[in-house]
Amino acid sequence: MTVPIRYREDETFVLNLGPQHPATHGVLRVKLTMDGEYIVKAEPVLGYIHRMHEKMAESGSFGQFLPNTPRMDYLGALSYNHGYVMAVEQAAGIEVPERAEYIRVITVELNRLSSHLLWFGAFVLDLGGFTPLLYAFDDREKVLDLLEMVTGSRLTYCYFRFGGLYNDIEDDFVTGCREFIARLRSRMPTHYRDLVTGNIILQKRLKDIGIIDADMCARYGATGPVLRGAGVEYDVRKNHPYSAYPEFDFDIPYFPQCDSWARYLVRMEEMEQSMRIIEQALDKLPDGPVNAAKVPKIIKPDDGTYYTAVEAARGTFGIRMVCDGGKGPYRLKLRSPTFSNLSLFGEVAEGMLLADALAVMGSLDLVIPEIDR
Amino acid sequence: MARIESTEQLLAQIVAREVTVSETKDKEGEVKKTETLVQGVSTVDYAKAGVNLDVLASTEHVVPIAEAMAENGFFVEAVTGVDWIKDDQMEVIYDYNRMDKEPCRVAVRVRIARSAPAIPTISSIHPGANWHERETHDFFGIKFQGHPDLSPILLPEDADFHPLLKDFKP
Amino acid sequence: MGTEKIPSSIVQFGVLDQVLNLARANSLWPMTFGLACCAIEMMSAGGSRFDLARFGAEVFRPSPRQCDVMIVAGTITHKMAPAVKTLYDQMSEPKWVIAMGNCAISGGPFKFEGNYSVVEGADQFLPVDVYIPGCPPRPEALIEGLLTLEEKITGKRRWPRRDAGKQGGAVHG
Repeated sequence: MTVPIRYREDETFVLNLGPQHPATHGVLRVKLTMDGEYIVKAEPVLGYIHRMHEKMAESGSFGQFLPNTPRMDYLGALSYNHGYVMAVEQAAGIEVPERAEYIRVITVELNRLSSHLLWFGAFVLDLGGFTPLLYAFDDREKVLDLLEMVTGSRLTYCYFRFGGLYNDIEDDFVTGCREFIARLRSRMPTHYRDLVTGNIILQKRLKDIGIIDADMCARYGATGPVLRGAGVEYDVRKNHPYSAYPEFDFDIPYFPQCDSWARYLVRMEEMEQSMRIIEQALDKLPDGPVNAAKVPKIIKPDDGTYYTAVEAARGTFGIRMVCDGGKGPYRLKLRSPTFSNLSLFGEVAEGMLLADALAVMGSLDLVIPEIDR
Repeated sequence: MARIESTEQLLAQIVAREVTVSETKDKEGEVKKTETLVQGVSTVDYAKAGVNLDVLASTEHVVPIAEAMAENGFFVEAVTGVDWIKDDQMEVIYDYNRMDKEPCRVAVRVRIARSAPAIPTISSIHPGANWHERETHDFFGIKFQGHPDLSPILLPEDADFHPLLKDFKP
Repeated sequence: MGTEKIPSSIVQFGVLDQVLNLARANSLWPMTFGLACCAIEMMSAGGSRFDLARFGAEVFRPSPRQCDVMIVAGTITHKMAPAVKTLYDQMSEPKWVIAMGNCAISGGPFKFEGNYSVVEGADQFLPVDVYIPGCPPRPEALIEGLLTLEEKITGKRRWPRRDAGKQGGAVHG
């Protein structure tokens, strides 16, 4: 809830939130000018984990940038992998076989599930509840095991290659996915809905807190669950379809309340929709190769500037790539969703209680290395 | 489709079309005239380029285009800089997108001089571009005239270098 | 850190020192210092599957005054390094540092020719006790790193290595 602030300039003090803070989910610093417990001005300071991804892209080849992509947003790593691989395939005109597209969708949606599960645990931890974190991590470990089976790593997956995948999936991955979905579906009503979503304390802490409406989202370019929690049905998977998503039947959850509660509900529903997509993809999985027939060893896209966008767990991840015939991109701009999502925090947090501001930050689902790149 | 066409017309009213014509002689000695678009709106293949409309503009069109886009329901997705050191120019690319069911992606590309690069800001019209412009200034040193606060956003506060320039040595 | 024997304090208590070291080693309280991706593996190690609590190390304290070990998990940038040093200085003795992940060891995947922002390793400005390689290291590797730190503190390993001498594992200096 925001209250109109009447304060004297000399009665405010500056409180530094971060860069080391348990609730900032990374190294984010927010300079808060406070009037008692109310925030007068919030100014995020970034750059504490700036790891020069865009400069590294220019100094190497197209393939050498692949390991950087999962390290930008390590929770939803495969979406970033997907975006970059799609960008290069689009520029170089490489066709991806159908089986590879389906497996890409399955693994990306599993990654989205693990990202939302971790968001759920960390969000409720910020608000003071420790137990849901352990339940969420328990389910998340199952997803990590499944993805480790195919990709070989637990967190920063670099599974996609230009024209397909690193390797094919086995039958035990398919059965493991189905078992996991059954398990998560059976745990959702009790461990997630009854325990957390139905909890009156959580509802009181989230309802009517942090109103971010569609107009604010449009002014700041916020996408993803932030936009869908403002009542706008926008998802790159439906509005600008790519990969194998047109083959599946899924809904885009959106809620009109524009508060942190709406953003919370959006992500909980997205988990259910991801499970639907995975089930359909597993049922319809075609046979065939997982790599394009002829992928040149040295990728040489046509000169020009290209744009690709995918729906990452946090919003629209865009890549603007300028190629000029070198061994790698001439310029690679990574449009990270959280960068735009966080830019509206200064406006939202004015007049809020500090505890509510942390709830809003949690509902924005920040991953700082993605902002700083 | 209708949205793409209406946006194309809207932008064509702001950015006048300019082409340069170059003559080349092909193998038989015949003169061929090729037109290269220097300024103007063109429809491009979405599957290849990722955008529907590609606008080549100059610095005086930046603010009118931003206002027109804001009135017509577009939002700024990204602001990028590119250092074309061979041409002694820099390029600023604005990506606009829509949130409704009529998809239309527009890329506005503006070339500016490489020494003392400057371009008007659009952060008063689209507040989201504020941070994007700060980042582009950080990386390239492009001054956005009228920007409220061009302090470093990703680099340390006392940084005086612009790392993404092609001749940058750490 | 060298092989010289640095006395832990001016007053030596003999057997009591060993008991104190055993107590310190079995209740290492880490600081919540996750910078980047390795932080997630640290959180997983604190979760219920890998469970750092059985080693006494589950209590992650945000305040540097209340913790013993700073697990530098993630990349240190030039902008962040003064904050890291400040936090290290604010920790009270005895304190240890674990460099978790390739970035904290040597800059990791972000060490390249045009590097302008990443500090190449936590040991550039901190005395690191244990290095845990990996990108990110598995939670089991973090547990092995903690056990190696315990071995460094007490001189004895909690339980013997499976193939003593032949196995790889965390390196302590």
